Amino acid sequence: MTMAQSSVAMRHPARRSYWNLLKNPSILLLPATLFLAVIYVWPLLDLFRLSVGGPTWTSHFERVFSIPLYWQSLVRTMEISITVSALCLFFGYPTALLIHRSQGIVKVMVATAVVLPYFIAILIRTYAWMVLLGRNGPLNKLAIWLGILDQPAELLFNRGSVLIGMTAVLVPLMVLSIYSSVSRIDGNLTRAALASGAGPIAVFWRVLLPLTFPGMGAGFLLVFVSGLGFFITPTLLGGPGDQMFAMHITQQADFLTSEGFLQALAVVLLMITLVVVGIAGHFLGFEFIWGGEKLSGVTPSASKTDRGGRPASGSAVGNLFADAVGWPLLRLLGKLPPSAGTWLVCVMGGFVILALIAPIVIVSIISFSKASFLTFPPPGFSLRWYSKFFSDSDWMSAFTTSLSVAAISAAIAVAFGTSAAIGIVRSSLKAKTAIMLLLVSPIIVPPVVLGLSLYSLFLYFDLIGSRIGLAAAHAIGGIPLVVVIIAASLQGVDRKLEQAAAIHGASPLTVLRKVTLPAIAPGLAAASFFAFLHSFDELVLSLFLSSAHLKTLPLRLWADVNYQLNPVLAVVSTLEVVLVVGGILIARPVLAGSRKAAR
Amino acid sequence: MAGISTQREARRGDKIISGDQRAAATAAAGIGSSISISHVRKSYGNFVALDDANFDIAPGEFITLLGPSGSGKTTLLNIIAGFQNIDKGEVLVDGKPVLHVAPHRRGFGMVFQSYALFPNMTVTQNVAFPMRMAGVDRETTDRRVAETLEMMRLSDHAAKMPSQMSGGQQQRVAIARAIVMRPRVVLMDEPLSALDRRLRESIQIEIRELHRTIGSTILFVTHDQGEALTMSDRIAVLDAGKIIQIASPTEIYRHPATRFVASFVGESNLIDVELVQRRGTRLTLKNRAGFTFEAGSRNEDAGSTATVLVRPERIAMSDTPAPNSVPITVTSALFLGELLRVECEMEGGGKLLIRCTDTQSRAMPNIGDKLYASWGADDCWVLS
Repeated sequence: MTMAQSSVAMRHPARRSYWNLLKNPSILLLPATLFLAVIYVWPLLDLFRLSVGGPTWTSHFERVFSIPLYWQSLVRTMEISITVSALCLFFGYPTALLIHRSQGIVKVMVATAVVLPYFIAILIRTYAWMVLLGRNGPLNKLAIWLGILDQPAELLFNRGSVLIGMTAVLVPLMVLSIYSSVSRIDGNLTRAALASGAGPIAVFWRVLLPLTFPGMGAGFLLVFVSGLGFFITPTLLGGPGDQMFAMHITQQADFLTSEGFLQALAVVLLMITLVVVGIAGHFLGFEFIWGGEKLSGVTPSASKTDRGGRPASGSAVGNLFADAVGWPLLRLLGKLPPSAGTWLVCVMGGFVILALIAPIVIVSIISFSKASFLTFPPPGFSLRWYSKFFSDSDWMSAFTTSLSVAAISAAIAVAFGTSAAIGIVRSSLKAKTAIMLLLVSPIIVPPVVLGLSLYSLFLYFDLIGSRIGLAAAHAIGGIPLVVVIIAASLQGVDRKLEQAAAIHGASPLTVLRKVTLPAIAPGLAAASFFAFLHSFDELVLSLFLSSAHLKTLPLRLWADVNYQLNPVLAVVSTLEVVLVVGGILIARPVLAGSRKAAR
Repeated sequence: MAGISTQREARRGDKIISGDQRAAATAAAGIGSSISISHVRKSYGNFVALDDANFDIAPGEFITLLGPSGSGKTTLLNIIAGFQNIDKGEVLVDGKPVLHVAPHRRGFGMVFQSYALFPNMTVTQNVAFPMRMAGVDRETTDRRVAETLEMMRLSDHAAKMPSQMSGGQQQRVAIARAIVMRPRVVLMDEPLSALDRRLRESIQIEIRELHRTIGSTILFVTHDQGEALTMSDRIAVLDAGKIIQIASPTEIYRHPATRFVASFVGESNLIDVELVQRRGTRLTLKNRAGFTFEAGSRNEDAGSTATVLVRPERIAMSDTPAPNSVPITVTSALFLGELLRVECEMEGGGKLLIRCTDTQSRAMPNIGDKLYASWGADDCWVLS
């Protein structure tokens, strides 16, 4: 049998090499790369083309920077993003430490409290904050009850509410980023510092903080970049003076006459994002985008050598300052009771978790309200808003549309993403890192920019309002999620297992079916869920690409939120929370497993 | 000067020893503290990690906590360091309870298995860290750090980052950091088990000499019995949270208290015997096959049956029967270089392991050879 086979192979050397080419794992990268090239890279390039299509190539850009409205908004966007990043860092660090230090069931609960909101749609979380901060909202009620206020204050539609809302939406990103950095530190380092006479504050300042600097940097930049493209939260929570750059793009998109100028606006936003990510990637490694560890650990240690190579550590002035202020201060703080640090972490982390969970809980309670308008606490409980939701054909059709779009989108993302992930992990292609970067890059492109670029493409191919088209557009953002999750679980699969199966006679396809796929099955389930959720929650692309015939649930929500805050929205929010909680409960063992594998 | 030394004074209670005074007392022996472990118990739920540990450590003593993993030795070390709470009991250092004192105020030095060097600091900064924390002025710190690095033969590496050094070098830096303050107590948690054998042996000698030079009390945790025998003044053998025996290395090796100690420390032959006759400390014993031999015992109340320990290197092989000898059949013979390792079957059942020096005159025994094994009455120890 084998003799016959080998003789066949020898007679057809050309077919053999073709077959070898097919067996090369790098071919698995092809489908996803082609898909993204057509639906993601090409439209973005087209965006550039249109943006330079004025009388001279710079004319549209000149207009962007000559109209105060736009460049002032650009400055404002930067200010807001930096402030939000700083707030996230300030509140996120203690929260990450709280997760790190708690144990057992408490740790799981604290971590879930942080991760859960991260998976709930931004629109819904922003809506929850509108409810919380509203005139009849719980915060106003509480302030009046406590006697702080005489009458309800307007807490919404100002810079403060934008900052609160964006920080609340983005803080989980920061916490996860810092936590992954903290959890990698050898626990004995803290003990060694304590044994060396360092108080808890000194341990934090001299050991923990310097070692978590990469995590803080990654978190800060991720939050900053996400903030730059923010559209939903500032629109709903901000006043006229809080217009962010992405909002101008959507407003301009309503006037078709501004073609070229509109694209120039988007290109400016995209370029700023890419420059920030590029600089960050240079220092932190581009792996920070998807929370991976820096693969080459050479650069940081090399740069540190230069510093340590100098005869004395730091300048004479620096030494003087350290002797006079720094060290005595640390020693003085060392006199604080050791529990002070623990308390600070608990109080701040607890506050963050309250701020993350309370809005969701309050909205869930309101969904059972008897009242015909939005008020908290509800005067009584009933299911009237649930029956209104389920009997309203408009809501139901939006709901089913969303379900079907999300299912198609998840299928596309999982098919392309899984094949690409196997290709990334198993091939020995030189350009692997570049391809990985391409696959993951949709995460950082502002959704408004992506939506605008797709709008032209969809117009051209008459795909506006097409279910498949919208699902494919959502899959652009679903693929990175799938690739990251599957690649992580694949790395946890011992390569030797596959080799063992092969040496005992399994064909490559059998190995895939019998060994590889079962091993990554939990990862696949989690990836499918997150790809589904991504599409189900997506609003910004849908705003550009849907039509009157194709209304998704977030679109319907968006219309209602802008029109009036009624408890039906609370019903939708509660259903989404139930969906996410259910999904996480199912995916939790998987996530724990993949985290173990990643280690 | 007074301001600088407050921190250390606070740690020492009324024994005022500032960083500078101790800097002046370099190389003076006798700075070690006495430690009293008093009825310490620690459990996690139903699992008792440490059960009524109760012993004293003399000032300047090198004491090793030896036991298999999970025996509670690291738990005990972490309790002394202050990293772990206990259910009951107390730890006294120089007669004063320390359990309520935070770890960073105890003023101990500590070395970890994973080195635990601060990766963001150079070797010099790592070693200077405890001095900076104690508020010692910069000149004294620089001088003392240089001295300590010199002592650990690390002067050439002072400016390096830990990541640029080998495991052995990193661990020497960690030791330097632990002793730079000349602490009265140094805790070492399996400091050598991540290193290869040759390196381990050379650092064992270094630590031993260091102990002589600085005179601190050293608590050393290991699961390597050879290491414990080489280095310690006394060894505490732990098993399943209990301290089984505390004694000098020779005593532990020659006169182990229990079967566990006998088999955990060194290689051993344990033979079940019946007591035939007792004359003072000299006993006549009979093994299961009925061969009688004599043994010495300090244990006056040995019962009618007992287990005796004969170390493999105390057994002689011969072709002819001698007093105190047992007929054996060789089942395996290994040539180890300076030693022969011979396994054999005693007549009437029971395995016997023999280690003897290789000599030109004797040929390697072959499998199946029938020989006689004999040992002196003093080489035979009756276990309680």
